[in-house]
Order: sequence, then C-alpha cells, then structure tokens
Amino acid sequence: MEVSNRLIDLQNITKIYGETEVLSDINLYIRKNEFLTLLGPSGCGKTTTLRIIGGFEYPTKGRVIFDGKDITNDPPYKRRVNTVFQKYALFPHLNVYDNIAFGLRIAKMDKKQIALKVGKMLELVNLQGYEKRSVDSLSGGQQQRIAIARALVNEPEVLLLDEPLAALDLKLRKGMQLELKRMQQALGITFVFVTHDQEEALTMSDTIAVMRDGKIHQIDTPKHIYDEPKSAYIANFIGESNIIRGTMIQDELVHFCGQDFVCVDSGFDKNEEVDVLIRPEDLHIVGTDVAQLTGLVKSVLFKGVHYEMIIEAGGFEWKVHSTVMAPEGSQVGLSVIPFDIHIMRVEKEESDPGGEE
Amino acid sequence: MKKWVRGIYLPLILLFLYLPIVVLIVQSFNAGVSRARWEGFSLRWYKELFASPQIMRALYVTLSIAVLASIFATILGTLAAIGINSMGKKASSAMLTLTNIPMTMPDIVTGISLMLLFIFTKVSRGYFTMLLAHVTFNTPYVILSVMPKLREMNKYSYEAALDLGATPSYALRHVILPSIFPGITTGALLSFTLSLDDFTISYFTTSPLVQNLSTLIYSEARKGIKPTMNALSALMFVALLILLLVVNRRTSADHK
Repeated sequence: MEVSNRLIDLQNITKIYGETEVLSDINLYIRKNEFLTLLGPSGCGKTTTLRIIGGFEYPTKGRVIFDGKDITNDPPYKRRVNTVFQKYALFPHLNVYDNIAFGLRIAKMDKKQIALKVGKMLELVNLQGYEKRSVDSLSGGQQQRIAIARALVNEPEVLLLDEPLAALDLKLRKGMQLELKRMQQALGITFVFVTHDQEEALTMSDTIAVMRDGKIHQIDTPKHIYDEPKSAYIANFIGESNIIRGTMIQDELVHFCGQDFVCVDSGFDKNEEVDVLIRPEDLHIVGTDVAQLTGLVKSVLFKGVHYEMIIEAGGFEWKVHSTVMAPEGSQVGLSVIPFDIHIMRVEKEESDPGGEE
Repeated sequence: MKKWVRGIYLPLILLFLYLPIVVLIVQSFNAGVSRARWEGFSLRWYKELFASPQIMRALYVTLSIAVLASIFATILGTLAAIGINSMGKKASSAMLTLTNIPMTMPDIVTGISLMLLFIFTKVSRGYFTMLLAHVTFNTPYVILSVMPKLREMNKYSYEAALDLGATPSYALRHVILPSIFPGITTGALLSFTLSLDDFTISYFTTSPLVQNLSTLIYSEARKGIKPTMNALSALMFVALLILLLVVNRRTSADHK
C-alpha cells in the first residue's frame, strides 16, 4: 500500500494506565474511504485505540499521524474526526435540531446554511420532522441516528464509532448495520468502527483488525480473516470452527486423527506441531466407503438454514454444518477437500479463546 | 383511647412547634406596648420598623450579604463540584468528605474559629469578614446540590462537545452548565436562605458597628424586647418560609 493513501497512521502506540499496559506497540494504518473495524473481546484495547485517534486519550508512547501531520498531542476539537459514542451522549438540554447544529454553530456557519444541513442530515437518517423533539422522547434507535447525524453533519474525514449498535435489539441492529454501510459508501467517509460482535465486523468492514490483550493479532479483509486465520484464537473468535492438533509431515501434507491429509499450506518445519482448522461447513457427510474419516453422529440440532451435528471420528468431536441430516446414532463418513484444511502455527502461550457472542 | 391519641398527637406537636411563632405574629399587630394585654389591632410597629434607620441599615446588610454570599458561594461551589466530579474515585470521595465536614460542624465552632482566624491574621472584623464567613459556610451546600446533577450527566457529554469542535470553556458554558443548572439554582437559593437565617457565625465575625438583622435583634433583646422586634421577626419568618417553600418545590421537582 502506498504511503500517500494512509489517512491515519498509528505508529508504535503504547498506552499504560498505572501499571497495566492497555496497548502495547500498536501499528495500524487506515486508508481513505476505508471501513476499518477493531474487533476483540472487552478489555482488548479496541476502545482505547479509538479514543487515542479521537484525542480523548494520549498514548504513553508512539505517534498518531493524520494526513501526514503529527496530531499525537492535539486536543479533540482540533482534529478532523467525529465520534459516535456508545451511549450516544446526546445533549439532553437541547432538542434534536440544536443537537445536530451544535458543531456547525461552533464553526460559526450562518443560520440558513445550518438549517439546510440539519435538514439534509435528518433526511439521511430518516428522521424528517423531528427537529423540535426533545432527545429524551426518542427511542434508542432514533437517538442513535441523531448521534450519527450530529457527527456526520460536520463532514469529518473520519467517523469513529464506539460500539454504536450495542444497545439496540437484534432486528434494529441488523437494519442499522446496512444503513451505516450505505451512508459510508454514499458519503465516502472513512469509518473506524469498534465492536465485539464478529458477525457485525464481517458484514460491514473492508478491513478487520482483531485485537487481544492490547495487541493487534491479525489485520486483513473479512474473507481472509475467516478463511485464513493466523491462530486458533482468531479462528475461534471469528465464526465457528473445529481446531485439532496435528503434525506437519512435509509441505502440503499434515497428520492428524491418525491419518495423513493433503493440504495446501507449506512453509512449516518438518514434524512441526500445528493447529489444524476445519470450518463446520467444510466437512461433508459422505458414504463410509469414500470417507476420509468415519464416525458416529452424537447429536443433531436444527438451526434453520442447516443442521448442526456433532460427529465423533478419529478421537475428536467434529462440529459439522450440513443441509443434509444424518440421524443421531448413525455411522457416517466425513470428507474434506485439501483447500479447506487450514494450518496455523501453534500459539506460544495457551490461553482460552474469546467466546463467541 | 388509641384513636383519641392518634387524633391529638400530631395537632399537639404542630401546636408546640408553631404556637410561639403565632404568638409573635399576633403580638406584632398589638397596638399597645404591653405583651400581656391585647390593646387592639394596629400596624404601628411595622410603621416604626420601617422608619428606624438602624433597622433599615441592618436589613440592607442582611440582604446584601445574602445576595453577594450566595453569588460567590454558587460560583465557587459549582466550579469545585465540577472539579471534584472529574477527579479519580478515591480523590473525589476524599474531597467530598472534606467539603461535607463544615456542614456537620456546629455553627458556634465555625463562628469562633473564623473569628480567631480573623484576629490572628489581623483582619479587622466588619462587613467584609462577615461576607467571607457566609461564603465559607454556604459553599459546601452548593457543592452538595450540584454534585448529584453532575453524576446524572452522561459522562461522555463533555467529550462529545469537544469532539464537535468545542473548546473546554465552550463545552463548560454550553453543555455542562445547562445540564446542571437546576442543581446550581437550588444551591443558590439554599445559600441565600442560610445566609438570611444565620446568627451565630455572623455574631462572631462582624463588629458591633456592622449588624445584620439577627445580630441586631439579639443586641436589642438584651435591652428588653421592643415590639418593633416582633414585627421584624414576623417579617423574617414569612420571608424565610416563602424561600424554603420555593427551595423544597425545586428539590422535589428535581427528583421526579
């Protein structure tokens, strides 16, 4: 990626509170018009990273570069970014119109123009006619839209969003995900989005940075993160997975469950211990005669689009997603194509993966 | 029997509480000098009251001190509350304890210690020292009434204002102060009432040359109570009653 495309560049950011290191040596750049998501469990440092970009926290070490200029120590009001806060933080003493006009009045824009812009914003978030309403009289979803409008009306180059959908119910959240994505594409603004919801991250982002314990573990497109997670931790955090210990026999050949499997990964040491990832939807139920593994169906759950089956084979309980149901207690064969076997380096320290939301 | 006790208990308490004041008010309309005999209704003492330059001067001192002290205490207390609220948890609760102690201290202790301080620092006592004393004992009450409003505020409101381009002082004026305004006015009214009401602390921090109404009544009472004092006391009672009603209404409205 060319350097000139980098709108925000975080360089070696470290943040220490008292004795705890919340962020350790974060390096991250955000391109113009990108939708970047910081994804991770609570306490991983994603919100702190966002607050450093917004100017609400200053890094203990490192620099924040914005459009080529060092803004590390600039206060929030000197930065060309705006934030949508988790609990919206609307001003309760002002009505909807005055909330949205807040930033424009500080910028000393003339009244007619303010009225025009606020009207346009209300149209964008689908709340025309709400100008005179008090913000307390609005529902959570409506307050959220006003918070977005209040930030976007200032035409920031970057919009920071701190778990903006966390307080909404599932249906509303899905709708807002699409709407946010639509706004981002229509306005051509860079979005930096913080969430702990992996599905939300996969749906909306151009790029996902998976964070854990103050570090960025992997940064990539949603598809790459899903298909080629760097570690068992990320595989577990994003989507559902079967992860089993194996040994690399040679390039493109891995041994697990007492058998050798052809795969597409290479570059590991001979006999290196590895984590093998197979997504539940990549395991196919086949006849026992052509199967790579045979096993017993232990349980079957109907999930709507597919069945989720737990199949014990080769001393491991495999989670299998399939539209074809194999009855509980039956003997079935499993097969997987080499492309769907993903080999990951074993993480040095073993710790439990973040839960799936 | 039980019913009878229940029926008489509350009226009895109210009677003991308010009878003295009722007597005072009734006496203030007594045409005669004697307190033992009713000589007919008259506004004579009220007329004399307003004609007395000494009393009018004391009234001026009382009112001007109450106004100035509540203004200064409100400014100080509000700023202090904002500061305390943005401190860390430990520091903020320590500071709150420190600011609460003066409220629990007996007035006489506050009064004497302030007097000693003024003597020690060689500040001659008078109008200025009384004003300082009133600001001092009012400020904790302002902090106490502003604090809950600050705690209620969304803690990101201030940051949201900065985010939208507001400087810290613009955010203070346009976001924080409007949000806590009900608490500020309650604090100011409370200060004004306390200031009007105070005798003990004023007594120790002023000179005999500068008297407010309460110290004047006290020194007059030692010479024997003039009926004008009845009229004055009755007026003070009514004024304070009205103020208290306003404050109470505000606080109960805040809690809704």
